[in-house]
Amino acid sequence: MTLPEPVETTSSPLYMNYTYVAGTGRSVFLRGLNERRLLARHCPGCSLVYAPAPEFCSRCLRPVGPPFELPGTGEVSTFCVVNFPFPGQVYEPPYVVAHIMLDGAHNRLMHLVREVAPEEVTIGLRVEPVWVDDDELDTSTTSIRYFRPIGRPTRDVAAVPYAQTPIGPADA
Amino acid sequence: MVSFAQSPCVPADREHDMAEIVLPVIREALDACGLTRDDIDFFASGSHDFYEGRTFSYIESLDAVGAWPPISESHVEMDAAWAFAEAWAWLQLGEGQTAMVYGIGRSSLAADLDQILPAQLDPYLLAPLRPHRDALAGLQARALIDAGLLTERQLAEIVSRYKDVAVDKLMDAPHVAAPLRAHDIAPPGDAAAVIVLAAGDTARRLTAHPAWVRGLDHRMETHYPGVRDLTCSPSTRRAGERAAELAGFATADVQVAELHTEYSYQEPLLVAELGLKNAEVNPSGGPLAGWPATATGLIRIGEAARRIMDGTTGRALAHATNGPALQHNLVCLLAAQPRDPGQPRDPGQPRDAAQPPEAAQPREPEQPREPEQPRDAGQPREPGQPCDAAQPRDAAQPRDTAQPPEAAQARDAAPARDAAPARDAGEAR
Ligand SMILES: [Zn+2]
Repeated sequence: MTLPEPVETTSSPLYMNYTYVAGTGRSVFLRGLNERRLLARHCPGCSLVYAPAPEFCSRCLRPVGPPFELPGTGEVSTFCVVNFPFPGQVYEPPYVVAHIMLDGAHNRLMHLVREVAPEEVTIGLRVEPVWVDDDELDTSTTSIRYFRPIGRPTRDVAAVPYAQTPIGPADA
Repeated sequence: MVSFAQSPCVPADREHDMAEIVLPVIREALDACGLTRDDIDFFASGSHDFYEGRTFSYIESLDAVGAWPPISESHVEMDAAWAFAEAWAWLQLGEGQTAMVYGIGRSSLAADLDQILPAQLDPYLLAPLRPHRDALAGLQARALIDAGLLTERQLAEIVSRYKDVAVDKLMDAPHVAAPLRAHDIAPPGDAAAVIVLAAGDTARRLTAHPAWVRGLDHRMETHYPGVRDLTCSPSTRRAGERAAELAGFATADVQVAELHTEYSYQEPLLVAELGLKNAEVNPSGGPLAGWPATATGLIRIGEAARRIMDGTTGRALAHATNGPALQHNLVCLLAAQPRDPGQPRDPGQPRDAAQPPEAAQPREPEQPREPEQPRDAGQPREPGQPCDAAQPRDAAQPRDTAQPPEAAQARDAAPARDAAPARDAGEAR
């Protein structure tokens, strides 16, 4: 018995436009980026410093304190190398996407690491932000073009496992 | 249920993210029953990514719960009334003593709901047609009017009850999706709602007047609206009958009913299918006062329970719906008193943790279900009658187990909505 030829394609394009609401906490951080400032906020309940910060601490639910500026430097806490092309890609692979622990903060910011060969990036690499030109500044993480190395690794990677950083295991 | 709180339904909240909307409501609900989030054994929530425009959007709301250290948590991608059903079942199974249910609904984020709502339909035959947001509701309303079960003037009368606008003035308004006018359609908005559940003695300790969930059931109809008889809602009726069995009292015996009516025409249909008699319907104002998407059904449960917790009502019903044209329906029966432990219970019903052990009742053998029969087009149905009520019953066909013969006869004879038949199936057992 031969089965009928199945219909393989039907075109039905969906277009959906949304308003995203940044929220009060996230807005503080985004407005800082528009002024080349990385803003952090401190939780009075558990002493965590968030950057980016919510409006209240997701651990103890206390409202976080007023924003203050971080120096902007930090270090790579983990990273991956993007090796494959995909539609909409801005940079030509291979390139590095990293979790960056900003100096003075306890949570990580995700961003690109450039001006360094991917094979030379290590956990613990010290980095600093490269900001866009004035006319490109926006309330967006794209106000930082990428992070770049400011020196060699300063910490023994093996001595600071990921799970022992301030946001660590549940029983910490 | 020991606590209920909700935020005002606003047309568009452009200030707060998901966590910021729900956190003050969680605080209010917990404070009202003297608990902290550390006292909650299980969290269940409901929302839908189609309204948010991103995947796994509800994860953001977990920041308001404090998901660290890790918690026991679940989410339904639909109205949060179904999260309530999950949390209730979880407690019935003895998994814990307390549960929090929250719903977040933001109807305002989609720039145009006409772009969004067709995506819930089947992608082969319906979604490519892009019916606009109220088109399927218009089909159902038109079918009800054509069947002689409803008139446009009755729709205006229903709306007039809520909005204090003269019926004639409402009739002068233009149609949006004929026979529906703008005032027949629940207005989109943003809100959050939170309910705290506790089992047996824990509930008694937390509040002097808990609202006891006596029965809950939900039933779903086929995905393709074209094979449904849109003039009836058998899923609502069956859910109501099963909830009544569990509750030990009939849906006809409630004093308050909060119905998830996203359109005015749905109210008389649901009233008939549930066999409501003297119940005050939607004293909260109902969804025609505000439609916060996936929080709307959970708010119905909260509003029904609130009238028990404040002592104004002894028995209440809450209905929630999900999907186009009342596709999926949930009925929850609530009472000021827990079920009498001495009362025979359907052995299929999970045991309340607070009830003493008792011998299992012998279960009646499962009878084959009566198939839904297409209605004879030549046979008119009385207004307000459930769709299978006018059908001649085949004597050789086994009856629906939940329908004692007397009730079925009373239904056939009932002339109008106000005289809808008793649904005392639960007590008949
Ligand atoms: Zn904290």
